[in-house]
Amino acid sequence: MSNVSLTTAIPMLLKAVPRSRNFEAVLLFWVAGINAFALAQVQLAVLQKMSWDMLFYWAPPAIAAGIVHYILRKHAVGADGLMLPLAYLLNGLGIAMIYRLDLAEISRGGIEIYADRQVWLTCFAMIVAAVVVRLVPNHLVLRRYPYLAGAMAVFLLMLPAAPVIGKTINGATLWVGVGELSFQPGEVAKILLAIFFAGYLVSKKDTLSEIGSRLLFMKVPRAKDLGPILLFWAASLGVLVLQRDLGTSILYFGLFLVMIYTATGRAFYVGAGLTMMVTGALVASRVFDYVGRRFDAWLDPFAAENYNAAGGSYQLVQALFGMANGDVIGTGLGGGFPQLIPLAESDFILAAMGEELGLAGLFAILAVYLLLVYRGLRISNSHPDDFSRLLAIGLSFVIGLQLFVVASGVMGLLPMTGLTTPFMAAGGSSLVANWVIIALLLRISDSSLKRVGA
Amino acid sequence: MSELALFLVRIGFVAVLWIFILSLLSVIRADLYGRRVISKIARQNAPALAGGGSVAGSVASLGLEDGEVFDPSQIAMLTGRTAGTSIDIAGKRELLIGRGATCDVVISDEFASNMHSKLVLVGEDWVLQDLNSTNGTYLDGRKVTTPATIGQGATIRIGTTTFELR
Repeated sequence: MSNVSLTTAIPMLLKAVPRSRNFEAVLLFWVAGINAFALAQVQLAVLQKMSWDMLFYWAPPAIAAGIVHYILRKHAVGADGLMLPLAYLLNGLGIAMIYRLDLAEISRGGIEIYADRQVWLTCFAMIVAAVVVRLVPNHLVLRRYPYLAGAMAVFLLMLPAAPVIGKTINGATLWVGVGELSFQPGEVAKILLAIFFAGYLVSKKDTLSEIGSRLLFMKVPRAKDLGPILLFWAASLGVLVLQRDLGTSILYFGLFLVMIYTATGRAFYVGAGLTMMVTGALVASRVFDYVGRRFDAWLDPFAAENYNAAGGSYQLVQALFGMANGDVIGTGLGGGFPQLIPLAESDFILAAMGEELGLAGLFAILAVYLLLVYRGLRISNSHPDDFSRLLAIGLSFVIGLQLFVVASGVMGLLPMTGLTTPFMAAGGSSLVANWVIIALLLRISDSSLKRVGA
Repeated sequence: MSELALFLVRIGFVAVLWIFILSLLSVIRADLYGRRVISKIARQNAPALAGGGSVAGSVASLGLEDGEVFDPSQIAMLTGRTAGTSIDIAGKRELLIGRGATCDVVISDEFASNMHSKLVLVGEDWVLQDLNSTNGTYLDGRKVTTPATIGQGATIRIGTTTFELR
């Protein structure tokens, strides 16, 4: 009899732990502690004392994370238990770093303060995530309207190019705004695109994967089945031309490639897609001046003409110097000079982290992202339904690819692009979009099979 | 605050981050290698299950002979327009059920959606999933909201049509 209880108990335990809400609660307390530690360290290093200001930056996100946890307990008991704490950790570390940069800005008499906004935007984004979990009881509803989602994504992408409401910031036309309020529709569009691809590919995957003739070692699909990939390649180049942003177009095209490869299992799409992407980028670097400058700054950041050029490699070089200054264990939060890097609170927040937490700390942060994306792929892998699997792959890959493009840009591995670091960078649209992704992944995870006792 | 204390805080913070990550890894290590461990234990215990008299009761309660696995080869329609017919499912891994002509199991029933629900073979079990249909799928009278495993003799109802796996 003891054998039986052992055979049933062990799988139960293994399945139960990462999904248990109590486990999630323990992790949330732990993460709240780490975030408080980060804020305390910033204050000790910069102000030489701890003050109650810290509570303002710590308590609201902690409470909001608590609310999400409560909603999950009520409405999605079987959801993955690691995603919420991991995302909350990244978000909290981001707030601590932005607060630290604010303190430096205040001490040199500047007025560009981001941390207060970031705190409220974080709370807002987490509440939106809770609402999504609550209001979307079954994510398969999303499967019904793939073309609507696709059309809305295109509409949102075109929106910044519209007159009056469209805004150009730092050379990229990615914003719409009225007065003080501005918003990046592209962030929402990436979720809609993932829904569209998942819905489209789930119905077309058989045609796309089975039919075709054999050429050399891979199967080449029929010309008319190549339509979608060509269309999307053209569309992402269109984004590049209209919005002057390399990162966004790489993100959309990469998302499409991953999802079509996942759906069909054909290496042809990846090979053809990557070739097209590299060709497109090379041509763009010749044709468009701003892309060409990015390429020059990437290939030779230390050359004087690139360093001194407007929009040249000054920022990247500051980031590289900063990370070199950080060494292996870093200068400690508040101990370095990340304020010297332009846009350290948004695009270059990873460089600021690399300086103050060092190689060890930066790798820890990358490991947290890795775990987050891994959980997303795991959710996809254990789901019985094809649409959900594809959607989960797409959503987690959006986070993964975005991080890859940003991190390689900051480290000089790829040309710098205008993507935001998920959960960390200052900016509301990106926070809301990424928290909605987490909410959808939690929803998918809850509906998958491996629920204990069901 | 002294230099030494700040140094300790600095090391401490990175250490705490890594302790957090490593403890998460130790938890999901079970998730990564879990299946293999389980199947090994299950295989070692399988002979004991089949031979052990005390265990036979719990297995028999599923309506199976000792050691036999529920491996249905057809869907038998019990009520509705197609009552009395059966559909061969041997070798299939996934069955789409609904009113639509492209479904593997076509149900002519006003209450069925075009793509109503789905049967998927997961390991050795058939799992029933509702595809967010308008009128719902019922397994043994209970509405299927999350994917459910189908046992022997369990009846599935869609609208006025019922069927079971045999």
